[in-house]
Amino acid sequence: MRLLGAFVTLSLCVYHANAATAGFIKSPLSLMKLIDDSGQLHCEVIGNPIPEVQWWFIEGEEPDETYIQLFDGARDDRVRINATYVQHATSTLYLSDLTLNDTGMYECRASNDPHRNELKKTPKIKWIRSQANVLVFETADILANPESVVNQTSAILNCTITNPPSPIKGSYWTKNGDKIKGTETESVSSITMYTLDKIGNTDGGVYACVFQTEPQSEKNIEVKTPPHVKPYKESEHGNEDDKGVLVCVSHSYPPPTDWTWYKLAENKEKEAISNGTARYEIKSQPNKTTLYIHALDIKTDMGDYQCQGTNELGNAVGKIHLRVRSRLAALWPFLGIVAEVIVLITIIFIYEKKRKPDEITDDDDSGSAPLKSNAATNHKDKNVRQRNSN
Amino acid sequence: MPSPAPTNLDYTPPDGGWGWAVVFGSFISIGFSYAFPKSLTIYYKEIQRYFLSSYSEIAWVSSIMLASMYAGGPVSSILVNRYGSRPVVMTGGVMVGIGMVASSFATSITHLYICVGVIGGFGLAFNLQPALTIIGKYFQVKRPMANGLAMAGSPVFLSTLAPLNQFLCDSFGWRGSFLILGGFVMNCCVAGALMRPIRVKPRMSLDPTANGAKNDKEVSDEKTSTKSPVEKTGCADRVNKFIDLSLFRHRGYLIYLVGNVIMFFGFFAPVVFLALYAKHMQVDEYSAALLLSIFALVDMFARPITGLVANTKWIRPRIQYFFSLSVAYNGLCHILCPFATGYGGLVVYAVFFGVAFGMVCALLFEVLTDLVGPQRFSSAVGLATIIECAPVLLGPPISGALVDIFDDYSYMYYACGVMMLVGGIFLLIMNYYNYKWLAQEETQRRQLEEEKGAMEELKEMGSSAENETDETLA
Repeated sequence: MRLLGAFVTLSLCVYHANAATAGFIKSPLSLMKLIDDSGQLHCEVIGNPIPEVQWWFIEGEEPDETYIQLFDGARDDRVRINATYVQHATSTLYLSDLTLNDTGMYECRASNDPHRNELKKTPKIKWIRSQANVLVFETADILANPESVVNQTSAILNCTITNPPSPIKGSYWTKNGDKIKGTETESVSSITMYTLDKIGNTDGGVYACVFQTEPQSEKNIEVKTPPHVKPYKESEHGNEDDKGVLVCVSHSYPPPTDWTWYKLAENKEKEAISNGTARYEIKSQPNKTTLYIHALDIKTDMGDYQCQGTNELGNAVGKIHLRVRSRLAALWPFLGIVAEVIVLITIIFIYEKKRKPDEITDDDDSGSAPLKSNAATNHKDKNVRQRNSN
Repeated sequence: MPSPAPTNLDYTPPDGGWGWAVVFGSFISIGFSYAFPKSLTIYYKEIQRYFLSSYSEIAWVSSIMLASMYAGGPVSSILVNRYGSRPVVMTGGVMVGIGMVASSFATSITHLYICVGVIGGFGLAFNLQPALTIIGKYFQVKRPMANGLAMAGSPVFLSTLAPLNQFLCDSFGWRGSFLILGGFVMNCCVAGALMRPIRVKPRMSLDPTANGAKNDKEVSDEKTSTKSPVEKTGCADRVNKFIDLSLFRHRGYLIYLVGNVIMFFGFFAPVVFLALYAKHMQVDEYSAALLLSIFALVDMFARPITGLVANTKWIRPRIQYFFSLSVAYNGLCHILCPFATGYGGLVVYAVFFGVAFGMVCALLFEVLTDLVGPQRFSSAVGLATIIECAPVLLGPPISGALVDIFDDYSYMYYACGVMMLVGGIFLLIMNYYNYKWLAQEETQRRQLEEEKGAMEELKEMGSSAENETDETLA
């Protein structure tokens, strides 16, 4: 097939001396995907005039193969084709929700012959073609034990894979998508294990065992803990009449669904702060909550605040101490320093006035005495001479 | 044997006594000028949060401050030429103080640009130039030592201001801290008060009642001419009274300018990138910060020690070579830096770089005074800062671009190293010729003087003989 294509291209070159015949600058690459995954094949062709690109699906084995052309929206809208014809032709074939039946050979065909689509004429010119294989595998069955960990102090996570799509080359574990160091192994075993000795409330997350097969197989195990709540800064400062910002964060899984703020009075009583009242504003995200206090008052707003985060397994609190600086707090050090500067300058000037007389004359005399005397003698001589002449 | 440049001073500088108090004053002024803009970066995060602005908008404050500092150089020189160092430094201190106090009430970033950037920058420029100038007026024999000590102010102040600013920021917030810093920086006025001007008693030869005899005029011109010879009247003449533009015809000065412009392209960038390079080499934040502290500590001691070394009788006459070699040594450090492996290698580099940086900084203004003389130093340094501001401001961004393009710090270090080596070698070669030509000119001048002296003696002998005959006749 390919040899024929090459021969055709060669003869095309000979035939069309002036125009540039179509040629592939990018050929589609083979894919290996799992069921329900998606993939794309990309093809780029140059030629003058710009060639047309088509996608064909080859079903069956030689010599009984059947060719089916693919169009945008084929296979119940799972096939999309995006083509551009600017300067050169590019075409991308998108396959979504892959099924086992999508496995097969896909062909990118291109031709810029003006008579390429005329079926009545004996097709002198064949299309140039480039092929790529798409293999769709069944997702491997991975048995996770336990399927999820809820509110436990320790756990051992197990994964067993049955019917891997290809031989297992190794495995590792991830937490929230990041590879966990030290869990990588090149063992071809279909069983892998990860131990969590102590599950604190920051150790929760979506863990996954990953088997290095072609393509990769993995299974998630959720580890859920009660919430973890921590103030971003335990001691916050604010300026009088300014805006105060108090922040609490959470690194637990699942993240808190509800956040509430309280102001702690001296008698340990809590007073709930609600959003939108008076000067308070609360902005919450799953893992962060912010309390804004507008126009801080030094008498009433100073003190301890408590943030509480709640998820399906319980709640946790964090405490922040807010200090309100009076507007004049910095004024005293400033005045102190200015006073010190003035005092020092006064001392220096007084000292200078007292020492002024002796310093200058010494310098002058030592430096220029000899020269001065010479000038004096010259001067005197000249004067004497002139007076005499007059 | 290279001869030292003429001092052109009418008096012998005291070389001690109150001079050391002046050095202390300069220490404070120089320390504030160099360290203050760099230490303000600690507040940027809080200001950014307050005004909800991007980092580049905040970074403009530093750039404007530095630019104003350089632009203010010539203005500062003119004022020093006219009024002397003390009033200019005190004015500068007050300006920075007012600028900082005003900025503590700022309601937008633009206010910060103006108050901290423009006013603060100009105020610091009014501190830097006079502080450098007055050392030349007070010291001749021990000048390199004095310069080295004064320049040590920069690293000392940087090491103290950095933690102080952190503490102020935590305790008072940025507004309160700016207010307090405004007061703190007024200590420059104290430094200015220390810079007692040297008062020169007016000479008899300047006495205009002399009968316009030729000899009188010659004598007065030789001894008291501190400005450049004023022959033509007009605009150029008036400009020259304020700032000495004839410096651009001074051979040594031109050599200094060209060498420095080349050198400054690669001078500051390695300092800026030291911590970043360390982090790039997988060093944690604290150790990277420690590198900078090591660098600053070594720098602090290298400057006075370099001053001391430069003062010795072997180095002083050849100080230009010493300077060129330190510049070249800097370049060598940078070229070898990419070969440093691991944290230990970086520490070694930081130590050597600290020594190199300190050497160049300590000698930077000493060699300028050595070339043009203390009298013209003020104008020289003003013109130099405004010309050097281009490579100083462009150097770090260009190096940053190099790092971005090649994604590798080695090329930036090579580039900086090469720039400094080229600058150093240029200075070395040109100064060798300059010394030679200066020696030739010196011998020619001596010959001319001897001939003149001989002729004058003959004239005097002739005139005294006439006098005797006149008197005997009368």
